[in-house]
Amino acid sequence: MKLDRRTFLTASLGLAAGASTTALLNSPKYRVTRRQPRSQVAILRAESYSHNLESILHFGLELFHLDLRGKTVLLKPNLVDYIPGNHINTHPLLVAAAVECFRRLGAKKVLVGEGPGYQRDTELVLLESGFAGELHQLKVPFVDLNRHELVMTPLLASYTGMNFLWLPRTVLEADFVVSMPKVKTHHWSGVTLSMKNMFGAVPGAKYGWPKNILHWKGIQESILDVCATVPVHFVIADAIVAMEGNGPLHGQPRPLNRIVLADDPVAADATCARLMGLDPTRITHIRIGAQFLGNVSNERIDQVAEAVYAPANPFEVVPEFEHLRVAGSAQRDS
Amino acid sequence: MHDTQQLNHARVQELVERQLPDGGWPFRADTAQTAVEPTALALLALPSNSNRERDAAIRFLLRTQNANGSWPAFSGDDGRGSGLTGLALYALNRCCAQGMMTNRAVQWLIESRGWESHWLWKWKFRTSDRHVRFDPDKFGWPWIPETVSWVVPTAYSLIALQRARGISQQDLAQLRIRRGVEMLYDRICPEGGWNAGNGVIYGFPLAPHSDVTALALLSLLTEPPNDFITTSLDWLERRAETCFAPWSLAWTILALDAFGRPTELLSDRLASVVDPTEINDCATLAVVWLALRLPAGETAFRVAHET
Repeated sequence: MKLDRRTFLTASLGLAAGASTTALLNSPKYRVTRRQPRSQVAILRAESYSHNLESILHFGLELFHLDLRGKTVLLKPNLVDYIPGNHINTHPLLVAAAVECFRRLGAKKVLVGEGPGYQRDTELVLLESGFAGELHQLKVPFVDLNRHELVMTPLLASYTGMNFLWLPRTVLEADFVVSMPKVKTHHWSGVTLSMKNMFGAVPGAKYGWPKNILHWKGIQESILDVCATVPVHFVIADAIVAMEGNGPLHGQPRPLNRIVLADDPVAADATCARLMGLDPTRITHIRIGAQFLGNVSNERIDQVAEAVYAPANPFEVVPEFEHLRVAGSAQRDS
Repeated sequence: MHDTQQLNHARVQELVERQLPDGGWPFRADTAQTAVEPTALALLALPSNSNRERDAAIRFLLRTQNANGSWPAFSGDDGRGSGLTGLALYALNRCCAQGMMTNRAVQWLIESRGWESHWLWKWKFRTSDRHVRFDPDKFGWPWIPETVSWVVPTAYSLIALQRARGISQQDLAQLRIRRGVEMLYDRICPEGGWNAGNGVIYGFPLAPHSDVTALALLSLLTEPPNDFITTSLDWLERRAETCFAPWSLAWTILALDAFGRPTELLSDRLASVVDPTEINDCATLAVVWLALRLPAGETAFRVAHET
């Protein structure tokens, strides 16, 4: 690999400009505004993964008065890999409950789609995590977003400097995209919630396993560009058993016994962060996302079920993200 | 009940019927976007008497080659090159489609490398960014340009370069092969085997994946026996005991067979869990067919080792 003077200067300047990067991130680079004047979030108690989840979820969804008649709903769970005993993925029973609920709400078609970022054999993850059985029973189609038909799509934000991404047609054509993250800490991005979960819509068939370009372009920046371009219409976050520490694969299980529903991904992620004892305004993609993708301030979020609360002990994180943790009392502000 | 011959015929038919008019295959049977990986795997899997389909696939691959000698990931992709270039080249070479175009692909593979080989990033990975345990001096091939090396594109590239004939820059090719092999050994998981390419992160050992391990092993076929290979083969055999996913199981069979380990029971299992019409993914169908043809002596990844 040849290194000319121009490359050297560019790279050196890039390395030396850490502080100015933050300033650059903060300057608006979006061509779309999805933020509503107010957002709704519902924190629902759910003690365990059971078939009772459908009634809990149905109750929660009723609070949002969604009109899904005739619409195609794409459920996007977080399926990363299968490691026995590790709570890595959105639980299949929660996804199954969501399928049933959206059908009851009149959706024309409900699909489940995901493009795992690390494991190439999506079918293996489905089989071993219990998803295949649940989806088969419900006769719901699963779309491997890593290997589906792709469309070159201009990005509606430019935090990464990329002009476009190839994205799956299934995602672009869905009327109603539901991000269903597993609530986890993440060793590269601090947290992985509904916004980071949308990395699964970026296809491995083009970008590889893992989707390394998103890391090189900046994880926080990539989250913003992807979420600007692929609208998340609704969030159902699995916080029944969350993960803390060295997530997204090898952290420790942390029961929160909650499901978080929201009509705004930024509000959902801000609420989940607060439930984790983390300050959402210190998480770059949530803070910047609040400029155009949704609401982070408690004053703009209507908690329509349980009130938000902070745990006495904030979630453990890797040392780089220690600054995200706040004392529990400081977060009891809702 | 079908007998084996009928089933094999059904598998070939299923693969043939999914070929698109442009000569390539899509990943998913219900889409029409031709992609290089399923096409190259299907070309390797088609029996030698499927002349018409093989010729169409060869023409598709030759037609879609980028100007710089690489291959895109799929029709319509940009022309910068993908980590599937090695696979496309290998499939063409296996079909004796050699010439100027494949020479350009070899040249591209020799010049292409993971971004960690750049001295600036090397310095970064040695000083400030040390959470992933790896040696940036040992680099392979990336999925897309200007990203770091990963195991699958490295394995595909090694397989292609090791088996390519008539390479003009033999010394450079050998050097590149050496670096790639070193990279695989460097990124191996502590218990043996490989995943996407991170053996240890934050001091925590990551688990290997069957399909990636199998591919990495196939790319190390020409290496002298060593502990890395033996440990990984042992891991793959253990993992196979509980594996029922066709893609992983098929790659496992191909690798174990290439190293002379028994695969009869795994092949029986694969044949029993697979109904070709129910496999929507064309790349999976092709690899399954490659694995199930082994008893007939047709070994897409083994032949070159023996020559």
